[in-house]
Order: sequence, then structure tokens, then C-alpha cells
Amino acid sequence: MSIIEYDVIVIGAGVAGLTAGTLLAEKGLKVALVTSGEPTACLSTGCIDFCSGKDNPEEAIAGLPAHHPFHLVTSKQINDAADDFRRKMARAGLSYWGDTSRSRLVLSAIGTFKTTCLVQETMQASPQNEQEKIHIVTFAGLKDFYPGYIIARLKNASFSTFDAGISTTMGIASLFEDESFLETFLLWLEKQNIREDKIAVPAVLGLESAAAIKNKIEQHMERPVFEIPTIPPSMPGRRLFNCMKDCFRRAGGVIYWDWQATGAEKSGRVIEAVFTESQGRPNSLNAKAFVLAAGSFVGGGLRADHHGISENIFDLPVLTAGKRREWFDQDYFSLNHRISRAGIVVDESFRAVESPWDNLYICGAILAHVEALKNGCGHGFALATARAAAESLLETRR
Amino acid sequence: MKFEHCIRCTICVENCPVFRVNPDFPGPKQAGPDAQRFRSEKDKTVDHWVMLCSQCKRCDMACPSGVEPAGIILRAQQRYGIEHPRTAAHLLFANNYYLSRLGSVTAPFANLITATGIGKKILQRAGITSYIPFPEFSFRTMKKQNKPASPGRKKVAFFYGCFINFYRPDIGARIIRLLESFNIDVVLPPQWCCGLPALGNGNLALARHFAEKNVASLSAYVDAGYDIVYSCTSCGLCLLNDYQGIMEIPRAKKIAENSYDLHEYILRLVIEKNIRPDFRAVERSVAYHIPCHLRALKIGYPAAELMKMIPGVECHILDDACCGLSGSYGFKKTNEATAVQLGGRAVSLIRKTDSSAIVSDCGSCRMQLGGLSGMDAFDPAEIICESLGIAPRWKNSKKNKKKKETGRVAAF
Repeated sequence: MSIIEYDVIVIGAGVAGLTAGTLLAEKGLKVALVTSGEPTACLSTGCIDFCSGKDNPEEAIAGLPAHHPFHLVTSKQINDAADDFRRKMARAGLSYWGDTSRSRLVLSAIGTFKTTCLVQETMQASPQNEQEKIHIVTFAGLKDFYPGYIIARLKNASFSTFDAGISTTMGIASLFEDESFLETFLLWLEKQNIREDKIAVPAVLGLESAAAIKNKIEQHMERPVFEIPTIPPSMPGRRLFNCMKDCFRRAGGVIYWDWQATGAEKSGRVIEAVFTESQGRPNSLNAKAFVLAAGSFVGGGLRADHHGISENIFDLPVLTAGKRREWFDQDYFSLNHRISRAGIVVDESFRAVESPWDNLYICGAILAHVEALKNGCGHGFALATARAAAESLLETRR
Repeated sequence: MKFEHCIRCTICVENCPVFRVNPDFPGPKQAGPDAQRFRSEKDKTVDHWVMLCSQCKRCDMACPSGVEPAGIILRAQQRYGIEHPRTAAHLLFANNYYLSRLGSVTAPFANLITATGIGKKILQRAGITSYIPFPEFSFRTMKKQNKPASPGRKKVAFFYGCFINFYRPDIGARIIRLLESFNIDVVLPPQWCCGLPALGNGNLALARHFAEKNVASLSAYVDAGYDIVYSCTSCGLCLLNDYQGIMEIPRAKKIAENSYDLHEYILRLVIEKNIRPDFRAVERSVAYHIPCHLRALKIGYPAAELMKMIPGVECHILDDACCGLSGSYGFKKTNEATAVQLGGRAVSLIRKTDSSAIVSDCGSCRMQLGGLSGMDAFDPAEIICESLGIAPRWKNSKKNKKKKETGRVAAF
């Protein structure tokens, strides 16, 4: 039994859940968010991909297959979602660069280029072609970053190694927040006799004040500095999550950490409450409407086993894209594994088709036909569908 | 134990406060699920760094796969504790309850020892640091209160915990009056240390000893229709989680099902019975430092909801930073640097909010943050009592003295 009656319960603390939650809370609704653990957004590069197929993401979205749920979102909603996101993140101290009409490249830790759309300020100066002259600074013993991969691919790159005394991403990032460490680092950097046009560092430039730290290095060295995203633990991903979480809180939202939603109380055509695991007593949260943004398989929204693919909170019908033996391509690195099409099919109102629930809205990676890896539509898709789902919910309330 | 469920995503590592500042600790992923594969029942444990985990449970809360790294590490800590000679600090803090009893009976004398140079030197020899002043023992502890309940009223057995009992019984007395102001009959059942300090110092047997006594005492009250209310979030987590889990105490489930956090309990009353408490305005801007163990209780932040109802209170919720003290953890010489750095980070986040005071449910968080910042640190119950006009009946000697030790703060 719930002690507080909410207007909306959002399930999932990823980009989709936090975006939808913030929009609804800003409209004065009483919103609570439940999450089982932290979202996969924390592990991401923090870059916002809308659709990476073409130089112009908007055109790329228009060219997606007909059943792709991106077509349920209007181009105005996509633009609004990007603008609103940039504005809110800037206010929270995390500036994003870029817009939805132009793709942008980010140099990856293996020397390839990743196509994305909006990037954090610390990645703004990332090279846009293989010819640019860059000097990579790495850290002694840092296990998660090998400059050799990049040097092997880019002929105009060189590197040097700084000994921070700590060999983990988290540890170095936390040292950078300390001004005396930054000064030592700058003194060392001066002596490296760097001739290249740009300086690259793995994404370890602090957690709370990354842009300020980057700016200080730029001023000191008089040339652009940029971060190269690393494998998790990913500081840019965590910056994104922390700032989105703050926005949601500031809008008046409440977060219940590690409340694994296990089922729902239903009556007629409405969901009345979700059940959650808790210490001691079982718990449940009542609300007038629900937003399901629990992510796909890794996020925990979908579950695959020998019998099929299921969604376990509301027991919604899941599009499973063929028999179990057809889920996977023979080639491991293929982008065409059919299982990545699995998910919930929704209509224009972002409610599940073939299911009776009037007050359940669904957005983000749990939707069917997304194929986020193949289409390069990760966080951008989450932002856009979350906005569309929230607007649909508000429309119905009216 | 679900260490096989770990997909190595490292979200736990991102959330580990100790890993952030102490390179000797390999982080929850390695210390938990990864090392678990190599812990054989036959060989003696060699991973001494498991003792560097402060058991804040942030990794458990962050894990999307339900692995509970802190739970795995806690078990490894117990084994390490059995197989290796215990340091003086571990022994002393595991037996905190008995020491505190001694301390409070001899309060003026004991306080003199912990506050003077010689006393501090002795403690340092034992591996105990004093970068923040030790809490002062109170001569006055919680007295038994066992008056018969009136029929038809809600009955509460209050589990006040060691911090209130030995250091701040004045807060305990105010909490009782706070509950009574909601027409609740409050009794103080016979109770012992919850067992968490013993568990945290690798002494499962002693923790079990305490737990069994508590469960025997509290069960009788549950059977008689009492709800158990705790105010210390770490005691609460131990009652709800560890008694059933690692300690495997029979009947612990019943205790867990009937135990409530103080503010959770009041909030339930207010909402279910549609009570409108006579909250008078309190003009305060407070930084609400959420104790790690309140997060881990999975009850949300009920005190924040209550403070929202008080006119004039501006409450900034901060739940991203661990204060670093973690009960007795930060008082150990080996953990001092970790505790000071984490505390410094938490204090700098508090300062960013421009609040005039700190609020936190956990006594040791308040001790750490109040000590490092020089700011006033209150229990949320104190703010609620202030709003309801429940004034303290007596003052702890501590409050009259102005905190001297603020020199450290300049560093942050």
C-alpha cells in the first residue's frame, strides 16, 4: 500500500525516464521515479546520438524503415527535445554542443570515429578527420585506455604519459577536481614540448567541473583540448546522469532508488499501482498514470529466456521478431541481430497496441524496432520519445 | 549470493566512495563478485583490502543486475575477521556497546580522557584517530518506559539505538514526545546494540549475540501488537536486512515486517489518517544529507516529505556523497585519509547549497559533517519538533560549547 498518491510513476532512471519525469513534474504533476539500480546511461559516452546514418540526423530519421517508432515523433518534437535538453544541461553546468541538423564525429579510444549529434563541451574539439595533428596525453598504468590503438590509425598523432600515482579512471578524475593536482599536471604538460594543434586526454577531466578543467588546460597550453571517451567507468556518462537527475529533482520529482518494480495492480482498463521490492515489507506505489522507460535487455526492461521475450512488470505483449533460433545472426559483430528489434509496439499516443491499459505510456529503448546500434539512435531517440510520451500523457489528462 | 549475475558493467565502481579516493581498495567489482570466484572454503583469505570497504551499500543500490557487491564483501570481511588476528581498533569498535555503557556511567571522566591530549595519544596507539572530536558520552541514558497502553491507541516500541542512548538521549526524549503528540503510546523495550558495529568490524558471532537478544525482546512486543520504530537508519538497516540475511536469525522476518523508520511511520499516520499536524513556521534553510543507509532502506526519504510540509523550511536534498565516517570506519587510522577526503567532498556539496544548517538522520553522519564544517547538524526529528513546539527538556552539555575544531575545514 502506497503512502503517497502520485500523479505519475515513471519506471526507469535512464535518459528516457528522467526526461519524461522532468517534463511532467515541470507541468506541476506529482511525479515519482522508481529504478532498479542505475541506468546504462551511466556507462555511455554521454554523447547524444539521434540517428547516425547521414550527415544530417533529421534526414537520417526520415529515412528509417516505416515501422521505426521514431516516425511517431514529429520533427518539431525532436527539435524541441534537443533544445530543451541543451538548455537544461547548460543550466545544470554541463554544456552540450551541436544541433539535430548536423552529425558530428568523436574520436574513439581505438582511433575510429563515432558519429553522433550532441556532445559535451569537453569533446567539442574532437577532430573531424584523420589528418588533424593531435597529441594524446595518457596516464601511467591506466588500464582502460591504450593510445597505441589511436597512433596506429592516425598518422599525425603522438603521445606522452603522465604519472598521476593512481591508475583508475575514477581515481584520476577525482584528482583533477583538486586544483593543486591540476597545477602539477600543467607544469608537466608545459615541458612536453607539444607541437601538435590539439591535445587529447582520455575522459578523466573530473566529474563535477570537467568543462572548467578543460578550459584551464586550453588557456595554459593555448590550443584546443578534448576528451576521448573510454570504456566504463565512464565519466561523461556519469556527468550526464548526475545532471539529468538534478534537473528532475529540481522540477520537484522524487526518486526511489533500487525499487525493482515486480508487478502491477490493474482494474478494468487502468493500472492502479506498481509493486516493488523493499526491505522488510512489500511496497507499492499508486498513481493516476504510469510511464514505462525501463530500457531494453541490459537496462532490465525486457527479459529473454528459453521460452521467449517478456516484459515482466505489466506483462505487455512483446514483439519478439521471429523464433528463438532466428534471434541471432551468425556474425557476432553483425548489426542485424533480430533480437535488437524486440520490444513493445506502441501507437501515436505511445500506449501499447493490443493491450488494454489507458494510463500506461511507453518510451525509450524498450520500444520495438529501435535497433539502436544499427541506426545510431541511442539517447536522442530516448529524449524524443520521452517528450512525445509525456506530451501524449498531458494531452489525455486534459 | 549472486556473484554470477555480475555483467562487469562497473556501475558499482562509479558509485564507490572509497574507490574514488583510496587506490589501495580495488573497488566493489573486484572486491565483491570478481574476487568471490577465487575465495575457496579451504584456503585462508588473503585479501586484506576487503576491510577497506565501509559498507555504505551504494554499490548494492546502483547494481542493475541485483548482485549486491557490498553483501559479498561483508561476508568476506567476516571470514577475514575470523582468520586473522584482530587489531585493537577492530576489537574496541566491535564492542562499542559495552565501551559506551562504561563511558556513559563514568561520563565526566570518560569525556575527559577522550578529549585530552594523553587520552588521544592512547587512542592513536590503538589505531584510533581523532580528526573530529569524539562524541561526548551522556551520563543520562534512555530510561525504561513501560507504562500500560491505553486501548485503541497505536502502540510503538522505540528502538532508539546506541547513539541516542549514550550520546544524545535529549533527542531520544524529544522523539518520544513527538510520537506521543500523535496520540501514540510509546514504550522503550529492553534492547542492546543492533550488532552493526560488530559486523562492520568482522565479528559476526558478537553481532549475532546482540541480534538474538534484540529479536527475543522485540518479538514479544510485536506479538503484543506493537509497531517497532527506529530512528537510526543504520540500526534500521541492520534490523530489516542483516538479521534476516547474513546473521540468519530465526523470527527476524517478523521483526522486519513490523519495523518502521520514525519519519516513515509519522508520514504514514499523516497521510493514512489524513492528519494535519500543527506545523508552525520554521525559518531555516537546511542541507539534508541523506545517509547511505537511509537510501539502502528503500523507503524513500520520508523526513524530506515531512519537512516539505513545514512552512519556511527550505530543504536541499543531497544524496550523492557519503560522509566517509561510516560509524567506526573513519575513526580507524588506516581509514582516516579516506574519511577526511570524503567528508570534505560532502561538506563542499553542502556549502554549495548556501544552507545554514545540516540535517541528517544518522548520528555518525552528523558527527562527521558537523565536525568538519563547524555547522550545526540536526536530526530531522529536531526540526519537526521545533515546528510542533516540542522544546528540548534539557540540553546536552555539548551544545553549550562552541565547536573549536574547525581548522581542518579551511582545506576544503
